Amino acid sequence: MTEKNNNTSGAGEDTPERVVGTPTAEQSVVTEAPAAQDDHGGPYKASETHVWPEEVQRRGEKVASLWFLLAFLGGIGFLVSYFVFPVDEIADPQIGQYSNMALGGSLTLAMFGIGAGMTVWARKVMPHYEVASPYDELPSSAEEKGSFSDFFMKGADESGFTKRPLMRRTLILAMVPLGLAPIVLLRDTGPLPGDKLKNTPWEDGMRMYVEGTHRAIRAEDLENDPYGMISALPAIDDENYPHGISLNDAAKSVILLIKVPEDDWKQGMEEEIEVDGESGQRLNWTHNGIVAYSKICTHVGCPAALYERTTHRILCPCHQSTFDASDAAKVVFGPAHRPLPQLPIGVDDEGYLVARGDFTAPPGPTFWDYAKD
Amino acid sequence: MKWITARRRHPLAGYAVVILALVLFGVGYAAVAPTSDQAQAQTLAAEVASPDDADAAEGKVVFDQTCASCHGLDGSGTATGPDLREVGPASIDFYVSTGRMPSSDPSAQMPRREPVVSEEELADLIAYYNESIRSGEAGPEIPYEVPDEAPEPEDFEPQRSDFESDEEYEAAVEESAAEYEAALEEYEAEYEDYIQGASDTDMGMRLYLTNCAHCHGWSGGGGALTDGRWAPEIHDSTPREIYEAMVSGPGAMPMFSDGVISPEEKQELISYVKTLQAEPNAGGIFDLQRVGQVAEGFIGWTVGLSLIVACAIWITAKQRAHD
Amino acid sequence: MSKTTQAPKALRGVGNFIDDRFHLAKTGEKNLRKVFPNHWSFMLGEIALYSFIILLVSGVFLTLWFKPSMVEVIYDGSYERLQGVPMSEAYASTLFIDFEVRGGFLVRQIHHWAALIFVASLVVHMLRVFFTGAFRKPREINWLIGVAIFMLAMIEGLFGYSLPDDLPSGMGVRILQGVILAVPLVGTYISMFLFGGEFPGEDIITRLYMLHVLAIPALLLGLIVAHFMILWHQKHTQYPGPGRTDKTVVGTPMFPGFAVKAGGFFFFTFAVIAGLSAFVQINPIHLFGPFTPTSITSGLQPDWYMGFMEGALRIFPNWFDFSIFGYAVPMGVLVPGLGIMGVVFGGLALWPFIEQWITGDKRARNVADRPRNAPVRTGVGVAMITFYGLCWLAGSNDILSETFSINLYLTTYIFRVLVILGPIVAFMVTKRICLGLQRRDRDTLEHGYESGTIRQLPSGEFIEVHKESSEETTDVLASKPVITSTALADEVDDKGVENPAARKGKGRLRRALAHWYTKDNVSFEGVEPHSGHHLHHSKDVEKESAAH
Repeated sequence: MTEKNNNTSGAGEDTPERVVGTPTAEQSVVTEAPAAQDDHGGPYKASETHVWPEEVQRRGEKVASLWFLLAFLGGIGFLVSYFVFPVDEIADPQIGQYSNMALGGSLTLAMFGIGAGMTVWARKVMPHYEVASPYDELPSSAEEKGSFSDFFMKGADESGFTKRPLMRRTLILAMVPLGLAPIVLLRDTGPLPGDKLKNTPWEDGMRMYVEGTHRAIRAEDLENDPYGMISALPAIDDENYPHGISLNDAAKSVILLIKVPEDDWKQGMEEEIEVDGESGQRLNWTHNGIVAYSKICTHVGCPAALYERTTHRILCPCHQSTFDASDAAKVVFGPAHRPLPQLPIGVDDEGYLVARGDFTAPPGPTFWDYAKD
Repeated sequence: MKWITARRRHPLAGYAVVILALVLFGVGYAAVAPTSDQAQAQTLAAEVASPDDADAAEGKVVFDQTCASCHGLDGSGTATGPDLREVGPASIDFYVSTGRMPSSDPSAQMPRREPVVSEEELADLIAYYNESIRSGEAGPEIPYEVPDEAPEPEDFEPQRSDFESDEEYEAAVEESAAEYEAALEEYEAEYEDYIQGASDTDMGMRLYLTNCAHCHGWSGGGGALTDGRWAPEIHDSTPREIYEAMVSGPGAMPMFSDGVISPEEKQELISYVKTLQAEPNAGGIFDLQRVGQVAEGFIGWTVGLSLIVACAIWITAKQRAHD
Repeated sequence: MSKTTQAPKALRGVGNFIDDRFHLAKTGEKNLRKVFPNHWSFMLGEIALYSFIILLVSGVFLTLWFKPSMVEVIYDGSYERLQGVPMSEAYASTLFIDFEVRGGFLVRQIHHWAALIFVASLVVHMLRVFFTGAFRKPREINWLIGVAIFMLAMIEGLFGYSLPDDLPSGMGVRILQGVILAVPLVGTYISMFLFGGEFPGEDIITRLYMLHVLAIPALLLGLIVAHFMILWHQKHTQYPGPGRTDKTVVGTPMFPGFAVKAGGFFFFTFAVIAGLSAFVQINPIHLFGPFTPTSITSGLQPDWYMGFMEGALRIFPNWFDFSIFGYAVPMGVLVPGLGIMGVVFGGLALWPFIEQWITGDKRARNVADRPRNAPVRTGVGVAMITFYGLCWLAGSNDILSETFSINLYLTTYIFRVLVILGPIVAFMVTKRICLGLQRRDRDTLEHGYESGTIRQLPSGEFIEVHKESSEETTDVLASKPVITSTALADEVDDKGVENPAARKGKGRLRRALAHWYTKDNVSFEGVEPHSGHHLHHSKDVEKESAAH
C-alpha cells in the first residue's frame, strides 16, 4: 500500500508533456532525499515520517475496534429505543423527552464511536507521512492561448455572427419579449396594493371584543380601573374563521385600549384631527380617559404592546420603539418615526365601547405612500 | 505540579486546557440548570390563614411597626410611600406575601423574596387595613377562592418546649406530620381543581399572549422594561398572586379588572401559564431556561462548534514517532 | 503495511468494468494522490459541508409529514395541552412530527441545531480564509462563491425558521414584511406579490416552503459543488513551513489517510449535533403556541445569524427618516434592514479586489499568511468582527438589560456609540498586537526561544538560557513576506519622472491606501536565524551558545 507513494526519483523527472485540454498529470514528487530508514520521501525528517511499530499498530487496532463495538452498541440502542417507546405514548412530554434522549443519546454514541474509531485507525494503524506535490501552473502557456484564440476567431468568422448584423439583431430582438415573460408571469402572485393597507374593518358604531374571550367591552369595565389596559379586536363574527375574524383583518385592526387618568393627558391630545369629516381634538375621540391606539408598531409591524401604567409608555418588545400613550402616542424613543394611529372611540346606547370611524392614519409599518389619500 | 510544569509546553497542552474548560463548563451547567422537578416543587410553596380568625388589633401592631414609617400611621402616604387607602386588600396581600413589602429601598423596584411578615400577621394586617385604613370598598378584594401557596412542614412542627416528655413530643411530631400530609393533599387537590377547572386552552393562551407575554415572556420568564425596571418572572407565583397582580396592577403593570377579564377567564389564563410552566421539556433535559434563541445561539457556538473543532484538532494533531 | 498486495479479483472486476467505459485509471489515481495539508483550521469548511449534508437528510425526513399550508384547523392530535386550539396546518403538522412520529422530535432538533452549526461553521471558515489571505489570487472566485453561500444560508435559515408558523417565527416574517414595505415606490407591491395580498395572508408559508426545500437548497448545492471542485482543482492553501512554497504543497494524500480522517470527521460532526439534539431543547414550538399577528413575547429573537440585522434595526435611530413630496422614506428601517446587509456582504465580496488594487499583487499565492504578518488586513478583519459582534449583541439588548439590570434605553445609547468606536479601537489594538508579535518573532528568530532555565554566570550574574528553535519554527518565522505595493514603487520611474497616473485622484487615493497598508511592519531584513547577540549575557555564555 505504501509503496504506491514512494517516488524516490527526483522532482518532475518523468512528467509527461501536457496536451491541450487535459489536466496536468501529477506526480508525488519528493523535494528532499528521503532518509534511509523509510521511503515516503516527505520533506520532514525521518523521525517524523514513519510506520508505527507492530505493537503500536496492534494496540491501535484494538482501540479502534473497541470504538467500533461501542458504536455498534449505540446503533443497537437506537433501534431498541425506537421500539421501546410506543408511538401513541410519546405525545406525553415526559415520555417524549425520554424517547428523544434515548434515541439521540444512542445515535450520538454510534456516531462518535465510528468517528473516534476511524480517527484512531488513521492515526495509529496507518503510517504517517507527508508528501509534496506541485501546485498546477494555472495560466495556460502563450502558445496554448494563441491556439485557442485562433480557433475561436476562425469559428466565429465561419458562423457569420459578427458579419451579418441583420440576423444577429433579429435574434436579440426575438429574445427580449421572452426575457420579460417570467416577470409578467409573476403578476398574479398577489393583488395590487390599492388602499388595502390604509383601510381596516373599523367603522362607526362597531363594538370591540377582548381578544380570546370574544366578549364585547363595556365602558364601565375599563373606566373604573384607574390604570386599565386591554388588547381588543373589532367585534366581527364571521363563521369562516375560528376566531370570527380573518388573520389579515386582525393583523391590521388590533388595538390597545388604555385608561389614562384625566390629569395625565399631555398637550398632544389637543391636536385637531378629522374623523369621517368631523373635526375635533384627539381628546374628543377618547371616552372617559379611555384611549385606543393601533397595537401594530409603525416601525416594522411587531405588536407594540408593552404598556407601563406609571410612565404611560407603550414599548414594542421587538425593537424598543416607545410611544407616549398620554401624548397622542408620539414616539419618545427608538427607531419608529410616526405615532401609533389613534382609533376614535365612543360609547353606544347600551354602554358598550364602539369605534367612531377608522384609524387616524394607516396602521402598521410605514410605507411609501401611507400619508397619501 | 511537576507533572504539569513538564508538560505545559507540550504542543497539545493548549488544546487540553480548552477541552478541560469545555468539560468543566458542561458539567457546571448541568449542575446548576434547574430540572423540571425543582421548578414544580417551587410552585407549591405555605398555607393561608383564614380571614375569619384574623385579629385587627394585632394587625395594627404589624402596620405601625412595618408599614407606617413610609405609608403614614393612617395609610395616607408620605414622601417615601404612596397612599394605601384606595389600593384595596388584594394589592396589600400581593406586595406583602411576595416579600416585596416592607421594602428596604423605597426608590427601587423590589424583587420577589421570602416574606418578612408571617402569614398569620398578614391576615391580621389585612383585617386591620379593611377596618381602619381602606376608604369604603375601594380597590379589589383578595380572591380567596383562588389557591395560594402550599403548606409547609414547618407550619405544623410542634415545639419541644411545649411537651414534658420525649414520648409526648414524638407523638406530636408524628401527628403533625400526618396533619401536614393531609393539608398538603387538600391543597394539591384544590390546586388541581383550579388548574384543571379551566377548559379553553385557546382562550387562556390568547389572553396570556396578547396581554401578558410582551412583558413577562411566553414562558413567564420575565423581561426588560424601561428605566432599569423589569417585569418579574412568574414561575414561583401562585395562582392567587397572579390574580391579585392582574386586578391591582403592581408597579408599572396595568390593571385587568374582573369586568374586562372575568374571574373564569382569569382562571383560563392562569391555568394556561401554570400548565405551560409545569410541562416537562420534550426536547431534552436542558431547556436553557426557556430563554430561546439567544441561549441556543450561545450553546451552538460554545458547545456545538467548539466540540467539533476539538475533534478536528484531535484528527489533525501532529504525530511524532516518540510521543 | 510493507508490501503492496495485488487487488482482489472482485475489486479488479469492478475497476475494469468502470474503466472500460470511462477511461478513469489515470484520473482516478491522480485524485487519490491529491495532497491535503494538515491543520485543524483547514477542517472548518468541512464542518459546513457535513452539516449541510445532515441538513439535507434530516430535511427530507421532515418533508414526509410537514404540510406547508396556512389553512386554519382545530388541533385534535395527541399532544394534549393544545387540543381544541385553532392553528394553521403547518403548525399542526409540525406538532404531528414532534409527538406522533417516533424520532420526529429528534430529527427536527437535529435539523435546527445543524442549521445553527452550519452557519456558524461558515463564519469561522470564512474568517480563517480571510485572516490567512487564502482569498488571494487564484482563489478570488471561490471566495465570491463562499460569500454567496453564506448569504443564501442565512436566507435559507430565516425561511426555515418561519415554516412551523409558531409565535416567534411568524414575527420574523412580520419584520421581513415591515422591511419590504419600507422600500420606496415598490415596497407595497413586492409585499403584496410575495404574500399574495396583505399580511399574513394564506400563501406565504407555501411559498417560503418551496424556496426553503427546493430553490435555495438547489442553489446552495450547486454553489457548494462548484466551491469544492474549484478547491480540488486549485488545491488547498497551506501554512508556511519546510518545503512549503507557492509552487509546492505538502500534506497527506487523499488516499488512504485523508479519506479516513475526513470520513471520521463527518461522524464527529454528526455526533455533536445529535448529542445537542438529544439533550438540549431547541425552538420548542409546541410551547410557544401558534402564530397570531396580534401577540408578541418579550425577549423575541431570531436565530443567531440574523441577530446582527435585528440589532441594527434596534439601535439605528429615526433621525434620518424623511418625506419627499409627502412620500415616506423610512431610513430607520432601510439602512439597518437592507443597508447593513449590503455593507457586510458587499464588503466581504469586494475585499479581495480592494486589497489587490492597493498592493498591486498579481502573483498566485498558495502559502497562507500568518495573520500577524498582514497587520492591516488582520486589523480590518477584527474591526469587521467587532462591528458584526456589536450589532449581534445589540440584538439581545433587552436580555442584556434584564440580566445585568441596566437601563434598556442606556443599552441602546451604549451600542450606538460602540458600533462606531468599537471597530476603530479594535483595528488599532489588533494592529499593535500584530506588530508586537512580529517583533517577538524577530527576536525568536534571532535569539532562539527562552528555555526557562536560569543559569548563574561565574561573574554572579543570572541569565536565562535561550535555545535554538526547531528547524520548522525557524522556517515558519523566516517565511514572513515583505508587504509592498506597486503603487508606492511607481511613484517615480527610473528617469526620476513622477508617474502621471499617481497624481490623479484615483491614483492618489490608491497611493494613500498603499501607504496605510504597508507602512507599519517590522522589517526582518538582514535577520539571520540564531545569530542574535544576547545583550545582557556575558561573553562566556555567548561563546557557549555559539558552540551550540
